[in-house]
Amino acid sequence: MSLVVTSGWYMTLAAVLFALGALGILIRRNALVMFMCIELMLNAVNLTFVAAGRALGNLDGQLAVFFVLVVAAAEVVVGLAIIVAIFRRRQSASVDELSELAG
Amino acid sequence: MIPPPEINWFALLPLLVLGLGAAAVLLVDVQMKPHPKWLVRMAAAVLLATAAGALLQGWWLRRLEAGETVGTPLPFSGFLIVDRYAIFGTLLLAAIALLGLGAGQRFIVSLGRRAAEAIALVLLSTSGFMLMLSTPQLVMMFLGLEIGSISLYVVAGFSRQERQSEEAAIKYFLLGSFASAIFIYGVALVYAATGSLQLFEQQELLSRVAFVKPGVLLIGLALLIVGLAFKVTAAPFHGWAPDVYQGAPAGMVGFMAAAAKVGGFAALARIMATAFEGYIETWATVVAGIAVLSMIVGSFLAVVQSDFRRLLAYSGVAHAGFILTGIVAGEAGIGSIWFYLAVYTVQLVGAYAVVAAVSGASSAGSPLASYAGLAKRQPMLAHALTVLLLGMAGIPLTSGFIAKFGVFQDAFRAGFGWLVVVALLASVVSFFIYLRVIVTMYMEEPLEDRVLVLTVPLRLVLWTTLAMTVVFGLFPVPLLRLTAISLPL
Repeated sequence: MSLVVTSGWYMTLAAVLFALGALGILIRRNALVMFMCIELMLNAVNLTFVAAGRALGNLDGQLAVFFVLVVAAAEVVVGLAIIVAIFRRRQSASVDELSELAG
Repeated sequence: MIPPPEINWFALLPLLVLGLGAAAVLLVDVQMKPHPKWLVRMAAAVLLATAAGALLQGWWLRRLEAGETVGTPLPFSGFLIVDRYAIFGTLLLAAIALLGLGAGQRFIVSLGRRAAEAIALVLLSTSGFMLMLSTPQLVMMFLGLEIGSISLYVVAGFSRQERQSEEAAIKYFLLGSFASAIFIYGVALVYAATGSLQLFEQQELLSRVAFVKPGVLLIGLALLIVGLAFKVTAAPFHGWAPDVYQGAPAGMVGFMAAAAKVGGFAALARIMATAFEGYIETWATVVAGIAVLSMIVGSFLAVVQSDFRRLLAYSGVAHAGFILTGIVAGEAGIGSIWFYLAVYTVQLVGAYAVVAAVSGASSAGSPLASYAGLAKRQPMLAHALTVLLLGMAGIPLTSGFIAKFGVFQDAFRAGFGWLVVVALLASVVSFFIYLRVIVTMYMEEPLEDRVLVLTVPLRLVLWTTLAMTVVFGLFPVPLLRLTAISLPL
């Protein structure tokens, strides 16, 4: 009995990873962990692009991955800077303590 | 050997001017250390040059259509597009950035040596949203969205000494990136289903091939809608907006809110009206649902706010609902959407310019109480805000009335009569929101007597936004004609 791993498997895995990332954003309360969940979602997107590109036999999907990677890197730069600025002042990265803005 | 790609500099013109302009602002600041005032003026010149570039493209497009010149409106193998839709969007964004810089001039100058960074970020953010609406390629659209949004995350946290500004930045960053990830996953799924990232190729395929199981395609489409709904603050994805617009620097909020709305709606309308035109019956119901929710949530929650900036943010949610009402009409609604966006975003920048003037040096929060008796403290501000708010409410003789009439008419013609009824009811409720602010300004006694300084750029912004609200209310025909031809290719 042999199991053929098709690109559909990879896309399913990517969907699971994306769902895990989205779930993490919704239930975790540490800004750093939430940020890691966003990265997980973006990597799930990359996996989908690569798997779909392979299945379709065209290069657009592989190409898209580069753009997503660069954007993710830019997000890291800005995101970590904001998180560090908050951590320095409050000694905590929990988003629950960020509640001055409400009305 | 692979031939090197041909670079169409002309198609890049507005983006190139703006990007190089932003770099030039930073370089000039490093080399010559001019007064921040001069940097703002330089940025204004860059934006005017960008608008001139877009007008030049418009002139070229007219000649192309008349057959007087050769070329393609889809340069870079269809990664960019030069059509009236993109040109109008570029002009509108340049105007918003110009007004936003005027409204934020006092804040920017107060930053001292950090002013150049703020100005460069505003210019880069504008260029990102311009890219977003002048491309038919979904990955490019994502890139534009991110250039625009990431710059705005930084702008939101620019008052480093204020705790609330930091809080606004992290909230905007986390939820904004979350929305971007949802959008790009939608792009990936649409790509997996259609095999193309280009809207025109997708349109061609979707009109030719009947999907037996359109599951992946429809999930992708839904994720695209959700991602963009986050960016344009449509309910139920609006949670971040009141917090961010309350905590961000007062002078910059108008630009932040207006630019993101223009970019988001323009991208949404382009995707829906080209690639998924054939699926209109599927997505129109979903968009109509989001519109209803936005109108109801926005109107009712705005009533109970005690902070003016939060109130404007919630009214922005309601306005997102009104604009989505035009989107359900598909391609037929695009003219009215442009008219609504142009009119509303200008009023929004004007209203936030008043906020910037009233807040003065402090950047966080604008309690409604500080607007009490504004008519006695500074009549010019009170009168201006009154006209702008009446315009947002859609009172006849203001541009807001024509705008609302346009989108409601298109939705009605598309067979969404029930949506128009909800929208009319929401308009009535939202009228009371604005009335409450006007009553506070004119009927109550001032609680403080701090002198409100009106800088020259701020006066210019107020007069321009006022003039546009009144003039396009009395003589809407020229703008209506312009928006009616600003269609995607």
